[in-house]
Amino acid sequence: MKTLLALAFATLYMQVGLRAESPDFATRKLEIIDAYAHYPGPGDAGYAQIAAKLWHHEDPAWCSKRLEEILAAGPSGDMFWMYPVTAIAQLDQGQLTPSARQALKNSWKTYMPYRGDTENHFLLYYSTLYLMSQYWPTDGPETWFTGKSSADNMEEARQWIENWVKLTTTRGQGEYDSPHYMGVYLIPMSYLAGWAKDPAMKKRAQMMLEYLIADYAPENLEGLYVGAHARVYEDQLVERWKGVSSDFGWLWFGVGRRLPMPDNYVLYYSLASGYEPPEILKKIGTDRTAPYTHIERKRTRNRWRFYDDLHGPVYKTTYVRKEYAVGSDQGGTLQPIQEHSWDVTWSVPDPRGVQNTFFTVQPFSSIHELQTYFVFNPDPAIEGVVKSKKTYDSPDKLLGGSPHEKIFQDMDTVVALYDIPPGTRFPGINGFFSKDLTETREDPSGWIFMRAGDSTFIACKPLQTYEWKPIAGGGRRLFSPYPKNGVVVQVAAQAEYPDLAAFGRAILKLPLETSLEPTPRVRFRTLRGRNIDFTYGGVPSVNGTPTDYQHWPLFGGPFLEAAVDSERLVMKYGRMRRTLDFRTLNITDTLQ
Amino acid sequence: MPRSTVYNRTVKFAILLAALLPPLASAADPTLYALMSVTKEYVVGAKLPPSGLFRRDPTGWSHAAYNHPFLFGLDSDPADPSTLYLAAGNGLFRAAKNGENWTLLTGSDVTELRDVSIDQTTGAIYYGYSHGIRVSTDRGKTWREIGTTLHRKFTESIRVDRTKSGTLLAGGEEGVFRSTDNGATWKLAGAAGIQITHLAQSSHDACRWFATTYLAGLYTSSDCGKTFESVGPIGVGRNLYDIAFDPASPTRVAIAGWGPGIQISDDGGKTWQPRNLGLPTTEITAVIFDPAHPGRVYAGVHQEALYVSDDLGKTWRKDGLDGSSITRLKFVPEGPITR
Repeated sequence: MKTLLALAFATLYMQVGLRAESPDFATRKLEIIDAYAHYPGPGDAGYAQIAAKLWHHEDPAWCSKRLEEILAAGPSGDMFWMYPVTAIAQLDQGQLTPSARQALKNSWKTYMPYRGDTENHFLLYYSTLYLMSQYWPTDGPETWFTGKSSADNMEEARQWIENWVKLTTTRGQGEYDSPHYMGVYLIPMSYLAGWAKDPAMKKRAQMMLEYLIADYAPENLEGLYVGAHARVYEDQLVERWKGVSSDFGWLWFGVGRRLPMPDNYVLYYSLASGYEPPEILKKIGTDRTAPYTHIERKRTRNRWRFYDDLHGPVYKTTYVRKEYAVGSDQGGTLQPIQEHSWDVTWSVPDPRGVQNTFFTVQPFSSIHELQTYFVFNPDPAIEGVVKSKKTYDSPDKLLGGSPHEKIFQDMDTVVALYDIPPGTRFPGINGFFSKDLTETREDPSGWIFMRAGDSTFIACKPLQTYEWKPIAGGGRRLFSPYPKNGVVVQVAAQAEYPDLAAFGRAILKLPLETSLEPTPRVRFRTLRGRNIDFTYGGVPSVNGTPTDYQHWPLFGGPFLEAAVDSERLVMKYGRMRRTLDFRTLNITDTLQ
Repeated sequence: MPRSTVYNRTVKFAILLAALLPPLASAADPTLYALMSVTKEYVVGAKLPPSGLFRRDPTGWSHAAYNHPFLFGLDSDPADPSTLYLAAGNGLFRAAKNGENWTLLTGSDVTELRDVSIDQTTGAIYYGYSHGIRVSTDRGKTWREIGTTLHRKFTESIRVDRTKSGTLLAGGEEGVFRSTDNGATWKLAGAAGIQITHLAQSSHDACRWFATTYLAGLYTSSDCGKTFESVGPIGVGRNLYDIAFDPASPTRVAIAGWGPGIQISDDGGKTWQPRNLGLPTTEITAVIFDPAHPGRVYAGVHQEALYVSDDLGKTWRKDGLDGSSITRLKFVPEGPITR
């Protein structure tokens, strides 16, 4: 009886909460759709404008004409073509002319999208193939680019989607926590939640939407996706606001600033289910009244060569408080090309145009890394990568993981150690010192003290000498050429100290022992009174207790709990509990 | 009229026609296919210039069926050579009607196929892919994983011994492996720890094989693929991508590589002569001899074009496929294979 009452109360509580929030969410969603539906240019209208107008039930004659024009020019874009035209088909609802509808239908026979080589590619491909096969359920193999019937396409797609959900809820997401690519996971789930007819598929997708939103909620600082990322673009890395995550944080939680023209990822998300997160996720996404440490376990991308296991574990730590966030993984090449392993991101009143982040990297570029994750031939590999990821093979780059970097984080302390073997293409390390650091002091002790905006103090101790290099567009790059190297970083809120000098004095009082031979090692008492001992390649310890990587959960912290292999996520906020159980496809809300 | 009579008359007519027409137009000539892509400006999601399967007709090259950026392996159905099998990024395609009618034979559980080889006796289809090797004995309806006992699964090249059904050679990350029991068990045949890029069996001597590698040059076997040994310094330190045996000469073999370009040996691989004069670069990914035209050899020059030589590589001219990177060239017979 007590439980029933609690459940009834929880449901009522959430409904009230949702009712209070939904006008705002609905308004924000409409703003995004209208940005496309009533797009004034520049440039020709495309699929996004057609889809947005169809959602509004506006101007169907124009939509039909324009759709035929675009399709006549020849589809392109692979799986990135599949999701716009799927939305158009689903939103048609009798608005398009028969000839436009036929042109759309023909395109699924005459154009063969490449299925791609990443998880987001596959998810886009299969979720849209699933929905279009559902849309033309009785069609034979002669009508599809696959040469398979609708039933066979749908079954193949269902299998892949279900396997992906299971893998993600047991071993973690492979292409995790990307401020950009998060959108191409949300689109497929939004589509299936909105348009799948099979109740199980629909429910699973809705639950995965919550799972993905939950993944982001504790790691956002006013909409900015903080911490380590599987993939990020360099401009989004230094100016954190530029990520698509800004659109989603704004839509879901009303925080931060959306992009001036919202990315089409958030548009298509909105056009399909336009799913509004439950109240508990809004709380987790916005409540920064108390500092917390949040941990996650993720998965490497498929490693085709050089490893016995297809996937390896990624151990993430993110410390968040209202003034700043510190996040990291364990280091290594966990993902190719675009991995970002650790940083400090500080809060600013308006992040637009602000580079509110600090980090170091070992600029690593290698055929071996590319061959690990890609099947293509080695000779044109780097040239091929550089076509779209311009800085990959550059010694002054700021993006990418390195096998010669090992990282440990405890609360708001990070130790990054480097042991770079002879023959490495770009020996040395780079540190990103933003143009938006308010003040930087190089202390004779070797510590560098920084005032970051009006919120944060950062202390950084490089283990070797360094020089400064200018960065195009502002800021400085710390370059240290030594193969055995490292940094110790301690962060604090400005509210904790009267000024930067006082913060510096507090740092200088902390016991710190460093050595470089035979491998770099740091022993440090942190500002939070914890004793870190970390040797490159070894298991780090805090207060003498080794870090337990063996039992690292998929999610752990005050807001989320999920054990490895559990297929279950528990969201927590105050007395509220919301459990997603993917084994039974049940969502349970309780009050504790 | 009995079918045999019709067959005999048709064959006689074909022979007569072959005698009367110039070689290129001969109905009996095998057809050259190329797997290629124009990817200089392409990344996944971008507009792809015409790429995929191309067929050399007497009038030039024609693009068969779909645009696809990643085709790597090609073989033909022994019972009906107009039906091709393509190892592709999306999976294994059966491309019937001279490559025009494609059907995807694989599902979501495999990706990025690297090579395909058909058992010319049984018709069994083998492919190597990013995470193993699979076989189908029912024309692609069902598949069975056969690379499970290999330590590392990535398979770049898979070949069926054309004289011994069930005997397979596979090249992957850790060398050349041989199986005599349809892939149930595998033994290291050579090039231990070396990445293999391609395997080829001599058209003259079924016991002669070559294997190209990343960085480690060329390997050869003279005992039917049981053991492989290094040929010598040719290609060492560079990457070799293709091997071609000249049907007109049992001792002539060509290799293609990134840096070495085209190298031709007239003594079975003991000595090599570079044949790159007239080619725009020495970044070559594919080579093949024309079985119907002794002395003619084709070379795929990375992001340039397909080049052809009628004097065994002493001089070259452009043959088409401008801007392409060619991953494989193959002559496919016009009729059933009788060997």
